[in-house]
Amino acid sequence: MATQTQTAAVDFDWAYVPTRPGWLRRMGRLARQHPTGVFGLAVLILFVVCGLFGERLAPYPPDELSVGVPLEGSSVEHPFGVNQLGQDIFSRILAGARISFIISFFAVFLGAGMGSFLGILGGYFGRWLDYVVQRSGEAFAAFPGLVLFLTLRTAFGPGLKTFIIAIAIGALFGGNRVLRGQTILEKHQVYVEAARAIGCSEWRIFIRHVVPNVLPLVVVIMSGALGAAILAESALSFLGLGPEEPSWGRDMSGSNLSLARQGYWHVVVWPGVAISLVVLGANLLGDSLRDIWDPRLRK
Amino acid sequence: MRQYAMRRLAYVPLIVVTVSVITFFTLRLPWATDPTTLYVNQNTTAEQEEAIRKELGIDKPMFEQFVDWVTDVARGDLGETFRSGQPVWPEIQRRWPINLEILVLSVGFSGLFGISFGVITAVKQNTITDYIFRVFAVFGQSIPDFFLLILLIVLPSIWWNYSPPVGGHVSIFEDPWTNLRLYLPPTLLLGIGGAAGMMRLTRSTLLEVFRQDYMRTARAKGLAGRKVVIAHGLRNALIPIVTLLGAQVTALFFGSLILEQIFSINGLGQFFLISTITSDFPVVQFLVLYTAVIVCLMNLAIDLSYALIDPRVKYA
Repeated sequence: MATQTQTAAVDFDWAYVPTRPGWLRRMGRLARQHPTGVFGLAVLILFVVCGLFGERLAPYPPDELSVGVPLEGSSVEHPFGVNQLGQDIFSRILAGARISFIISFFAVFLGAGMGSFLGILGGYFGRWLDYVVQRSGEAFAAFPGLVLFLTLRTAFGPGLKTFIIAIAIGALFGGNRVLRGQTILEKHQVYVEAARAIGCSEWRIFIRHVVPNVLPLVVVIMSGALGAAILAESALSFLGLGPEEPSWGRDMSGSNLSLARQGYWHVVVWPGVAISLVVLGANLLGDSLRDIWDPRLRK
Repeated sequence: MRQYAMRRLAYVPLIVVTVSVITFFTLRLPWATDPTTLYVNQNTTAEQEEAIRKELGIDKPMFEQFVDWVTDVARGDLGETFRSGQPVWPEIQRRWPINLEILVLSVGFSGLFGISFGVITAVKQNTITDYIFRVFAVFGQSIPDFFLLILLIVLPSIWWNYSPPVGGHVSIFEDPWTNLRLYLPPTLLLGIGGAAGMMRLTRSTLLEVFRQDYMRTARAKGLAGRKVVIAHGLRNALIPIVTLLGAQVTALFFGSLILEQIFSINGLGQFFLISTITSDFPVVQFLVLYTAVIVCLMNLAIDLSYALIDPRVKYA
């Protein structure tokens, strides 16, 4: 009897494999390790919500005149104050998210997405595609972005389309080189050789082995492109080159700027804070994702 | 090395010509803004419009216009602006020193602060100093430069009832004090965004260099800590730093436009902006050409400087 209990005590379940914690728990752990990344993600979610529904969330119609006393500072009804035309600044900030959102959406998914794809493709297969993409990237990098934009604007006229094209081109070449380099590193790894040894076709190695290994970097590059696109959009709108819609950059220029010089600082400061916050969010999220995924930092 | 330099130098005209040709024909695409639309009204007759086109020289076939422009530029004749009819070159000559000053000061600040803070944070990795500087760097990279410049105008006037001077450019050789009072504060702020990026790059590159064996050797043979960091560490981290500095010069080339706009300074950026809005072809074409030449030569100089920084670099 005694011997029996003893054997039960040392009985070890060799078949037991510890289960991996559920994805929710793993996400929670990751979030605790990277609080700044969580902050960035929260800001970006808020930004997307404002970009999609900003005008409907706004307490006042953003273009409606005289909803408050012109140039009045912060109050309960108007948390960020009122501008010269009597428009509610808080509502205009919510509505102004739309244009930044549209531009950054195209920059991230069209520009950075396509640029990443071309970079990976060029890095893996090389030859003429790589050559064409790399040389045009070099030519592009040699030119001040503003010169390119203004030339495009003279050619295609002002308006949202020119704007989207110009900023998406910038995003296209932005991350392309980094991904190309990473792909070239991956392609010489042993696992690629192993896949080739068991008879995988080149396309299968590319899609199933190489692409998934560089994909995390694509997300990092996309978050970088998001911040850069918003900075570019606001700077161009500030210069009065943007489309004719409420925009953070545009609300900081022209007559509002001269009002700020006279001491009505709230007119320009809140839109500026909005831009800085969103870009900060994108940068913090990008940094955290890089910390999590960059193999060089994983040591 | 010499052969490489010659070959790269041969590329410069190639790129410049390509860019000029693309610009020239992009401006004259069928759907592009026609400059004559700015000089006509409802009462202008078709004959008058034709006369305007003839005067501006855009009545001829596109290719002929191109040949004319190239031969004129080759002879040093840049033509007259559409807007004022003034020769292009004096207009540019008047403005380029302003841009050069803005560029030198802001890139200088960016390099000075970026590199020195980068070295400090790398040496003091994971200390309070490191964290504080890194937090500042993340903010510096996130705040748009025009917002910083606006704050420069707005905040001192709220806090100390002082507004920094705006407008009224004086040459630095005539009156250095007035000149620097106008340009130093804004260029310092313009350099902050660049300094933040520079600091992060310097820090991460230096940390990688610190792990190398020669750093341990330098320390082991009894070299002073400062000398190890500067002569062995920074020297080996300099290549990416110089590359980034070059990219910042390109970015700030017309990034000074923001400064010109906020501080009411009539520089090349403003001139370029107005010329593109009014489809002033001779000005736009020449400024693109001018930028292309300078940026290409600068990139070449940076490429060649790699061999000076690191004698192991071989050009093939």
